[in-house]
Amino acid sequence: MKISAREQSWNLSIFMLVIGLGIWQAQQLPAFGSYELRTILLGIIPLALLAMGQSIIIIGGGINLAIGAEAVLINILTAKYGEGVSFTKALVLALTGLIVAIAIGALTGWIISTSKIADIVVTLATSFVLVGLALFIQSGPGGSTNKEFSELFTGPGQNFLAPLLVLVLPLILIWWPLYRSHSGISFYAIGSNKEAAFLSGVNVSRARIKLYATGGLFAGLSGIAMTGITLSASPFASISNAATLNSVAAAVLGGVSLAGGVGGLVGPALATLVLYYIPTILLGYGIDPAYSQIIQGVLTVVVVLIGGLLRRKGSSVR
Amino acid sequence: MKTKIKVSRSTLGLWIILIVAFVVTGIVDSYFFTIPSLGITLQLAAPLGILAAAQTVVMLTGGIDLSLAMIATGAAYIVSVKSESGLLNSLLLALAFCIIVGGINAIAIGIFGVNPLIMTLSMSAILIGVFTVGVSTFLRGSSRMPEILITMSSGLILDPITWPLLVWAIVSILVLFTLHRTGFGRLVYAIGDNAHATRLAGVKVWQVQLATYISAAVLAGIAGIMLGGQSGAVAISLANSYLLPSVAAVVIGGTSIMGGIGGYSGTIMGTLILSVLSYLLAVLNSSEALKQLIYGLIVLVLAWIYSSISGQKS
Repeated sequence: MKISAREQSWNLSIFMLVIGLGIWQAQQLPAFGSYELRTILLGIIPLALLAMGQSIIIIGGGINLAIGAEAVLINILTAKYGEGVSFTKALVLALTGLIVAIAIGALTGWIISTSKIADIVVTLATSFVLVGLALFIQSGPGGSTNKEFSELFTGPGQNFLAPLLVLVLPLILIWWPLYRSHSGISFYAIGSNKEAAFLSGVNVSRARIKLYATGGLFAGLSGIAMTGITLSASPFASISNAATLNSVAAAVLGGVSLAGGVGGLVGPALATLVLYYIPTILLGYGIDPAYSQIIQGVLTVVVVLIGGLLRRKGSSVR
Repeated sequence: MKTKIKVSRSTLGLWIILIVAFVVTGIVDSYFFTIPSLGITLQLAAPLGILAAAQTVVMLTGGIDLSLAMIATGAAYIVSVKSESGLLNSLLLALAFCIIVGGINAIAIGIFGVNPLIMTLSMSAILIGVFTVGVSTFLRGSSRMPEILITMSSGLILDPITWPLLVWAIVSILVLFTLHRTGFGRLVYAIGDNAHATRLAGVKVWQVQLATYISAAVLAGIAGIMLGGQSGAVAISLANSYLLPSVAAVVIGGTSIMGGIGGYSGTIMGTLILSVLSYLLAVLNSSEALKQLIYGLIVLVLAWIYSSISGQKS
């Protein structure tokens, strides 16, 4: 499978936008160097990983409105039991968190396949369940983790290398092999046309379970990154809902089509930078960050609108 | 013929679920069967029912409107702040707000082909931004609801009939009549079933969508004002927690999220089931965690039961 020209040009334009915003923001700072870059990367990692998970699911023709809740649950799990533990134990905890996340994802995929209820409805319901579970485990903000474990994400010094690796390694080690494998192809196949995928021998329900499990894996990574970076966890629906909405916005800005079957993960990761820069730059000018929500909303609509107009050239239904 | 049997079987299913929920709640808490308690349950169900009516109409066209909660909050906020300069004036302003927002949604979705989920999510974000800024600038003032609207939202006529219940009943009759007895209603079902075929039959699909999203926004505004009246004053998060239940009520009631199938009578049942359920959860004095968990599970199970008895993809 080759990356399409459309996807390449989309990634390129998002990249240019990010560079432009980056230069703009850098000018507001007294100095820009490794430390500032580290701050930015640490700020976007949880959302970037979540947006990757959401993108995988949207590419496969689904949508997961519970993905933020899933990340928050893993965040809570690893932070609550992570207070004062050794490095090894923190690692074991993180691994357990990932397994739980994959299991939740697989279960969600199974429910959607078996019940034939729409993805939106199932994940709407599971988002309640997962937030409930998170609240059950820990009813308020709190938790911590091992210091060395946290340095896996933040790096020992003020270097930007560790956060960069946290962002890039999942792409290289998880997504790239998957993308080139049979499973990855089946994600794109069921996303663009379920019947055609079925007729060409794809086991649609198994592919869908794998799809949601992979999304769950990224949501789990995002939750663990929250623990590693913030050393705390809050079990609130407002946090998980905001994360879910931002993950959808990032996926769409990153060139993933909601119709399914189109897009990759690099674009959404870059798009989270755009979502990070808008409020930061406004704040630099002393403008109420509430305006950033307006801008973000308008930007998302405009991007989707342009994308839609480009795609619909030649189609006449109105 | 076959579809008719299926529909009646699923309606029967909804009745059974409602009755079971009703009886179980009554057994757990005998006060539930008293007239004042019924009145309060129905009064609290009314705003959800009206918000779910808005969602039903949109979902029948094959769309979804996730900005309804913010439209509701916005309308209530405008009414509460501007009511000092006259009630009618403030209501007209809120109406204009609903029409404009619904219109923008519809134009983006119907004419420019933006995905409804993305459009309304973004609209919701935009409105949160606008009102967060507005609270300290152009919408500054007391957000206390005027007395007459508080009465309309929670006043008693004759136990268990309350003013909001009456409003809900009128809205229900209007919605049911429009959907099942008018040409516009048929068009709503038609574009939800097959927008392409409807266009080829000579219908301007975007015009139907325009009317649909605007009426949904106006209904949401009514629901919002009612919620504001029930809580006395309006906060920026007023209707937030009603968004997902509004979708859940529609889905439980058997309206397909793909459009074209279902109707408002099912949604009324869905609303009643959810209301009895939240009463039960409140009575059981369960923690917030347990409430969320059970609520989510029940919505999932009900949707699952519904899709398996009706054999339809919801």
